Amino acid sequence: MLHENSHPTDQELLLAADGELSARSARVVRTHLSACWHCRARMSELEAAIVDFVRVHRQALDAELPPIGRSRAQLSARLSDLAAKPEANSVRAFFHFASMRYPTAYVCFGLLSASLLLAMLTGQSLRSILSIHAPRVVATTVEDRVEPNPKLTPGATRPVSMQDVCAVPHEEVVVDVPEVLREKILREYGIAEKRENDFEIDFLIAPRLGGTEDPQNLWPEPYASSIWNARVKDDLEERLHEMVCSREVSLKTAQNDISADWIGAYKKYFNTDRPVSINTRVGVNSLDWQSSKQNHFAKLWLSRLKIPKKIGA
Amino acid sequence: MESINNISLPALAASLASPDRSEIECEVLRLFEEFRNPLLRYALSFGISVHDAEEVIQEVFLALFLHLQSDKSRKNLRGWLFRVAHNQALRKRTTLQQVQTTSFDWMEAHMQADPSPNPEERLFADQRTQRLVAVLRVLPETDQYCLRLRAEGLRYREIASVLGMSLGAVSISLTRSLGRLLRADRS
Repeated sequence: MLHENSHPTDQELLLAADGELSARSARVVRTHLSACWHCRARMSELEAAIVDFVRVHRQALDAELPPIGRSRAQLSARLSDLAAKPEANSVRAFFHFASMRYPTAYVCFGLLSASLLLAMLTGQSLRSILSIHAPRVVATTVEDRVEPNPKLTPGATRPVSMQDVCAVPHEEVVVDVPEVLREKILREYGIAEKRENDFEIDFLIAPRLGGTEDPQNLWPEPYASSIWNARVKDDLEERLHEMVCSREVSLKTAQNDISADWIGAYKKYFNTDRPVSINTRVGVNSLDWQSSKQNHFAKLWLSRLKIPKKIGA
Repeated sequence: MESINNISLPALAASLASPDRSEIECEVLRLFEEFRNPLLRYALSFGISVHDAEEVIQEVFLALFLHLQSDKSRKNLRGWLFRVAHNQALRKRTTLQQVQTTSFDWMEAHMQADPSPNPEERLFADQRTQRLVAVLRVLPETDQYCLRLRAEGLRYREIASVLGMSLGAVSISLTRSLGRLLRADRS
């Protein structure tokens, strides 16, 4: 029989029901639920509370909604009025203006282009002139991506309270990076399309430490890194999270240390030159590494659930 | 709700890179048909009148027209619509200086209208609803917003963007509110 603490919290059950957990965490919850009637009953209660809320919400409001016809017609008329006004988009207006009537516009455009070209030839980048966020493509090798490029990924945080940070349990609300963002990061790091599957997009400052889903806080981490891999970084994040919540380290310091040099931070907070995890193996291939990462996740989950060690081993 | 996700597909976005106005008008009207009711329910939950809530929704879709016309991002349009509706409804409520009531207040007045076949069942259902409404009414306003947005189908990420909260805070808020509903139901 499992210890009481081994059951997922209500928050985790709800995250699972709402499809907001990572695939790995969802699998752990599913497995647990299939084995545990107690948690299945709690899950049903949560679902029942959701049904109750939706019933009250809809019952109160649906009867008040007027038919859509009149308001749609009103919107249509207003849109026509709005569309009849001069176009707001100044860029398109410029090209419209240029193409229709005024040869001087071409001259202005030509002068602007020429000055930009000149600036480029004199070594000043187009980006610095126009402040355009051009792709930040740089050449790097797999090994030096064990730590992110500080120019591309300096780290970014959002304002969070200690309560926000510490109320979230160990396995934080999982943020799956959208595909578009993933593509963007891979392009910026100059990773060839055929090698995309060798990388996962990782947060430099973890969301549970106040990191944001911002390109400046995301980098492609190679699955195949032998020593300083994502699993080791997870350990550091966990350690820092504990230290922040027990007030041993300020959140700001944790954020600064992990973003400046996460390997250095690991050495500092674990007081070691090499990863301390007993599961760390040198020279694992990517497949081994992924499965070992899953084991590691299971291990963390189980350790949090305080299951006797032999089960998690 | 699926179609809003399709809108953000790069291919579609590219094909709409410079649509003419009638195309944008059609798109806005199509989105209006899809999201008018969820948005109107959400606006009504701010305790403003149906007339004012309808006006808020009109303003939201006029803003959407300008947003699309200036080739701004089509990513997460559903979140965008709810965010603008949230801000406009708040502004409307402030402008009108209405007594802050929530939909759950006038919910009580409408409960009598719920027909049930059996008087006993009806009494039981009414008592249960009353207990739930009593809990919902005293929830912090942000918790109520989170519940309503989730009930309208928004994902945590979208709710976080509408309310300017972290994902963790959304998760905690929803869990806390459902826990309160559960306890009310048991009592």
